[in-house]
Amino acid sequence: MKVLLLRRMLLSALLCAAGAAGEVTYQDLLDDPDVASDWLNYHGGYAGHRHSLLDEVNRSNVESLRLQWAFQERIEEKFEVTPLVHDGIMYITVPPGDVYALDAETGARLWRYSRRMPAKLIACCGLVNRGLAILGDRLFMATLDAYTIALDRKTGRLLWETKLIDYSLGYSGTLAPLVVKDMVMVGTAGGEYGIRGFIDAFDVETGERRWRFYTIPGPGEFGNDTWSGDSWKTGGASIWITPSYDPELNLVYWGVGNPGPDWNGDVRLGDNLFSDSVVALDADTGKRKWHFQFTPHDVHDWDATQVMVLIDREYRGVERKLLVTANRNGFIYMLDRETGEFLKATQFVKQTWAVGISEEGRPIRRPGMEPSAEGIEVFPAVAGGTNWMSPAYSPDTGLLYVSCREGSSTYYKGETEYRPGTRYWGSLFVNEATMDKWYGAVRAFHPVTAEKVWEHNLFRPVWAGLLSTAGGLVFAGGSGGFFKALDSESGEELWRINLGASILASPMTYEINGRQLVVVASGGGLFVFALP
Amino acid sequence: MRLLTSIALLAVIPALLSAARTHETNPMSSPEDFEEGRRLYRINCGVCHGMEGKTGRGARLARRSYRHGNSDAALFDLIEAGVPGTDMPGLWLEEDDIWRILLFVRTFAEKASEVCNASGDVAAGKRVFDSQGSCLACHTVGPRGGRLGPDMSFAGVQYTDQQLRDALLEPSREVTGRYETVRLVTAEGERVEGVVMNENSYNIFVMDRSENIRSFRKAELQSLDLPEESLMPAYGDLLSTADLENLIAYLCSLHGPAEEVAQ
Repeated sequence: MKVLLLRRMLLSALLCAAGAAGEVTYQDLLDDPDVASDWLNYHGGYAGHRHSLLDEVNRSNVESLRLQWAFQERIEEKFEVTPLVHDGIMYITVPPGDVYALDAETGARLWRYSRRMPAKLIACCGLVNRGLAILGDRLFMATLDAYTIALDRKTGRLLWETKLIDYSLGYSGTLAPLVVKDMVMVGTAGGEYGIRGFIDAFDVETGERRWRFYTIPGPGEFGNDTWSGDSWKTGGASIWITPSYDPELNLVYWGVGNPGPDWNGDVRLGDNLFSDSVVALDADTGKRKWHFQFTPHDVHDWDATQVMVLIDREYRGVERKLLVTANRNGFIYMLDRETGEFLKATQFVKQTWAVGISEEGRPIRRPGMEPSAEGIEVFPAVAGGTNWMSPAYSPDTGLLYVSCREGSSTYYKGETEYRPGTRYWGSLFVNEATMDKWYGAVRAFHPVTAEKVWEHNLFRPVWAGLLSTAGGLVFAGGSGGFFKALDSESGEELWRINLGASILASPMTYEINGRQLVVVASGGGLFVFALP
Repeated sequence: MRLLTSIALLAVIPALLSAARTHETNPMSSPEDFEEGRRLYRINCGVCHGMEGKTGRGARLARRSYRHGNSDAALFDLIEAGVPGTDMPGLWLEEDDIWRILLFVRTFAEKASEVCNASGDVAAGKRVFDSQGSCLACHTVGPRGGRLGPDMSFAGVQYTDQQLRDALLEPSREVTGRYETVRLVTAEGERVEGVVMNENSYNIFVMDRSENIRSFRKAELQSLDLPEESLMPAYGDLLSTADLENLIAYLCSLHGPAEEVAQ
């Protein structure tokens, strides 16, 4: 009896050890989004397209889309997550520090992890989190108290946690991490608190740090001389959006945040590298291969934390590996992503700060557009011509879709003093006088010519990202609470529903048991739609 | 930065930070403070933790050490903010009142006789846990082990030795949370055994013996059995008394990840 039972237990132990089915491999991440049923990366693939090959929901039937299930929590913060889906389970983060596993077909809760947070978290714009990364049987999260953590995807158990830095100095983690090979990569938010931004890569198994890249170079390093005095120590240059990755070039493309103090550049004379830049880092070493700065010596808070969209297209007769990004400063940029060579920049919203962009990609500034004590009205507004919300790129239409924001801010400059863990802004802007000029729209651009193909007006300025699908659709959300399906070729509205609260996240889609589901967060809820 | 909403948030954040702690150690000590602490405990805490800190659905307070920390500051913060993911809410009381409650709670530990303490050999117990008893197949300690049973990484602060002894000898007496056993047969005749992760009127969600998380529509099952028993075998038949005591000693030695590494 005793022996029999022991044998049975040993057998079950072996079964457990062999229970690796359903683990996410690095190859799975490379194949995403071609394996259309899952959604394994914040962008739905390394290239930052947020495009799905699923086409069950398409132009001909999208009008029948209806709610399948909803997830609701007492979320007082902005709900900015993009869920991951794998093996029939959906994984989401809920602010400030929770993770849920939900049955992807019904929404039933399978487990919840709650992080115990310090009382005085420091975050400029809400205690938010944008999601997770996955590899093997592990989920990875950057936390508001500036840790990277790994959880068991089947139980939510904490497997390891590695401190990035002391959060009380103004650092936090809000982005969905990126997994490359056997590393998980994160960066630190906190660009309004005099941080010195950095990017870390950790071993997925142990949580040990493999490398760190400072987004502000230290003394003796290239670019440190673009900061006057000691300003490099407190210059911001935060990281808060998941980068894109080119496996062939082994380069990770990070959009870097604004320099600090935001609106008073007098204490940080110079270009302030690598603020407002894209830096291309070798995934294995964290070494910089190239960088490109969109807004040198920014004084308008125009982070370059927009999604870097990687596209292989012909440009001037030559097939090239391109990087396209609509920047907060009001221009769409196209770079060669192998070398960082600047190819083109085109204005995509009203802007009044630059006369144009030089052949080297440097803005030619219009004089008198810097913040002042009296205030100066400048287009675009402080939130930019677009912001962190995801664009989408459809290989079918060849179009780049961007959530655009039209409007201006009155920018003021003021005194500022660095004190650890407190705001380091250099004054504040006032919007009241200019609010009536604001509106938002989804626009479709030809990515190479940057020609606008269509526009769908969303009335209010947009904070929601976009999802493109092989069903010929672009899903978009509005600050007024409308979630919409647009025709990807014409921008015509084909379906809409009022979710009752602002949409401040980017949609995603997945398939389970042969059915396509479309998901978006709104208010304190996650809403999941499918055909009847 | 996205300033649109940040101005509103700046107004909200200070409200979240009210009742901030201004002391590292408990400044309350008088008999009047103690009596007021007892009164506040009865109103706010007793329903879950019991007036002696021993009963109810809340954590057992009548013990010498606590999972979330033992310092005055750590316990103050816990009482103030609650424990995320559990039924323990934060108490938004004045700072002095939280200190008074803690003054009262501290007396539980002084009177606590039940602790996790066993006479066995810790190293020998670890061998039982890892191999002889196959405990790791279903239980986790630190980074190692299975997912079907409760995590044992903090066993030494979560359970008394008597609770562990009872669970080993009579595992089905009390099966909690998501460790309920399920046995079902699908429409295709597949037999599935595991633990219930969730259940509603229409579906049941199971972690099977291979730790796959699976969803079943109840209406489509041939049979669904939820026996009130544990998947864990009774170890009275399987281990000698000495091995059991060693195992309990090992479990009592587990106080979290750091201790596991130290072993």
